[in-house]
Amino acid sequence: MEKYVVVGRIGEGAHGLVLKAYHVEQGNEVALKKVLLKKIDEGIPTSVLREVKTLQELRHRNVVELIDVFPVGLDFVMVFEYMPSGVWEIIRDSERPLNDSQKKTYVKMLFEGVSYMHANNVMHRDLKPANLLVNREGVLKIADFGLGRLVWDDNSHSYSHRVATRWYRAPELLYGARYYTTAVDIWAVGCIFGEILNSAPLFAGETDIEQLAIVLRLLGSPTTESWPDLTTLPDYNKITFPCHKGLPWDLIVPDATPDAIDLIKQLLVYNSSKRLTASSALKHLYFHSRPFPCPESALPKPTPDHRVQVKPEEVKGNLKRTVLFQNLLSIV
Amino acid sequence: MFPMSSQKMYWIFSDENDITELREKTNSEFIEKHGVNVPRDQREEHFLTTSEERILLKFYELQLRDFCRRFVPPMPRPTVATALHYFKRFYLRNSVMDYHPKEILVTCVYLGCKVEEFNVSISQFVANIKGDREKASDIILNNELLLMQQLNYNLTVHNPFRPVEGLMIDIKTRCTSLENPEKLRPHIDDFLERVFLTDSILIYAPSQIALAATLHAASRAAANLDNYVTDTLFSREHLPGIIEAVRKIRSMAKCVEPPTREVVRSLEKKLDKCRNQANNPDSEIYKQRMQDMLDEDDLRDNEKYAKIIQDQAEHDEKVLGVSKSLSPSAL
Repeated sequence: MEKYVVVGRIGEGAHGLVLKAYHVEQGNEVALKKVLLKKIDEGIPTSVLREVKTLQELRHRNVVELIDVFPVGLDFVMVFEYMPSGVWEIIRDSERPLNDSQKKTYVKMLFEGVSYMHANNVMHRDLKPANLLVNREGVLKIADFGLGRLVWDDNSHSYSHRVATRWYRAPELLYGARYYTTAVDIWAVGCIFGEILNSAPLFAGETDIEQLAIVLRLLGSPTTESWPDLTTLPDYNKITFPCHKGLPWDLIVPDATPDAIDLIKQLLVYNSSKRLTASSALKHLYFHSRPFPCPESALPKPTPDHRVQVKPEEVKGNLKRTVLFQNLLSIV
Repeated sequence: MFPMSSQKMYWIFSDENDITELREKTNSEFIEKHGVNVPRDQREEHFLTTSEERILLKFYELQLRDFCRRFVPPMPRPTVATALHYFKRFYLRNSVMDYHPKEILVTCVYLGCKVEEFNVSISQFVANIKGDREKASDIILNNELLLMQQLNYNLTVHNPFRPVEGLMIDIKTRCTSLENPEKLRPHIDDFLERVFLTDSILIYAPSQIALAATLHAASRAAANLDNYVTDTLFSREHLPGIIEAVRKIRSMAKCVEPPTREVVRSLEKKLDKCRNQANNPDSEIYKQRMQDMLDEDDLRDNEKYAKIIQDQAEHDEKVLGVSKSLSPSAL
């Protein structure tokens, strides 16, 4: 711990603080994720173990690097490269809107990270803009592997379906599937792609039921032809929705080019086995047609306090103050 | 992927000598450190030798396996295997005299359960332990971080079970001359049980161990896979290395012999006298140290974070759009 000097707080994770610090000798900025173990009855939380375990096996330009891990007294610290921004902020930065070729590069970096991850039998299960960090050079890195886990090929393992933040949750998860594949990550990537194109989330449900309703309204109701497994899913019989035809894609993503629409169409597919894989998506015409993905040097370079600059505008005015301060009060 | 894994990078050794050397170094370092007051000619009598440590560890590896076998709810094999990996890895660079194997054993199994997603709560876990359960859970939770650190945080373990499944599928599709390949299974499982009590898993790739298990099973079941291995599976230039590895794994698995009760008992007695009391949860010195750590941690935390939290709270207030006039400090 003496190697690092703490200079501020970045945020609060599920198990402790995330601090900004720099390495005393090398001077590089890092994020310290501190896990408080004293108060935890079950020892080191599984989510932390998952993160350490998966990141130790992954080395990729578009996956965040776990630089070091060490104990501090009875606690435990993970050291990451410091990332001044994230895709969430980049999308919402109204001062510097992305052009089409920059958008392409972000989507491409995302697919490259996901494709590497999947090739290594790791599924993330919680891909969303807030977990896609952006470094000083503008390079995207996938972070937060607290739900990451190894994939079993044989489909013999059932997984929890309460994974992934709602807006990015694949329809099979919304219907309570216990057996799912890396395709849940691809659905999330499809949602993020749409969000980058529109500068707004595609399916912003407030509850799980509304989430499903929004997806069905936009993409049309699934049928046993388009989604053979549908009727076997645990929650299928619990909810019925009115039948929707769905909207045409040029209304769902209004300013997108035909190539972009052709790609997103193959990601947001109900039948998970029909979704493109990350590696095949990278071969899609979208990435190989004009405007070409911009070189990394042409990506917006987030300022050191980018996260703070962008966030304030997003605070909802109608929130009750007590709600607003709930988290803050529990910290102080 | 095994070729890129931390297992291959840090936990696979070139041969048995490499491992023995490392263990001897660990043993002599402990004796150097703790034997200052023991005359040189009495050290061997007082401290455990490397081979005595090995005997105790073999005994506890069997204990670990039996503990897992009896575990309720039934524990999947990969979890047991991962725990055994951890146990072996831990004692490469730590002496039995420093950390008692019975404590590390349960910690390895507990961590193995979490990493392999075999989800049991700590109370469910210690319900499987005889004796003082509260103490057991303290020991486990106190040692968990130490174990992780000693494992270099390399938690992912590649086991031979999946390669075995791969070979079975391949045999069924490409070696159709073999009747009923499923008859190999009991022999394969039996072999893998024994392999995990040897150092093979610290020397060979999981796929090589899987192949050795399959070939061993074939010879037991009077089946012939020779042509499949030489003609279908490998090219000529790879063959000699593979055959040598398989031969070595099989011969190591042959010499698994449990140490006798008497030997273990006398070594346990010796260990009680020479173990590092600072790591013995029953010793006064250990209890004092844990208490100091708790106190110190509280103090340090409080000071260090009080300031950060204060700074941040101010910042948050600003960010969250609370106007200054609402703040009493602004009045």
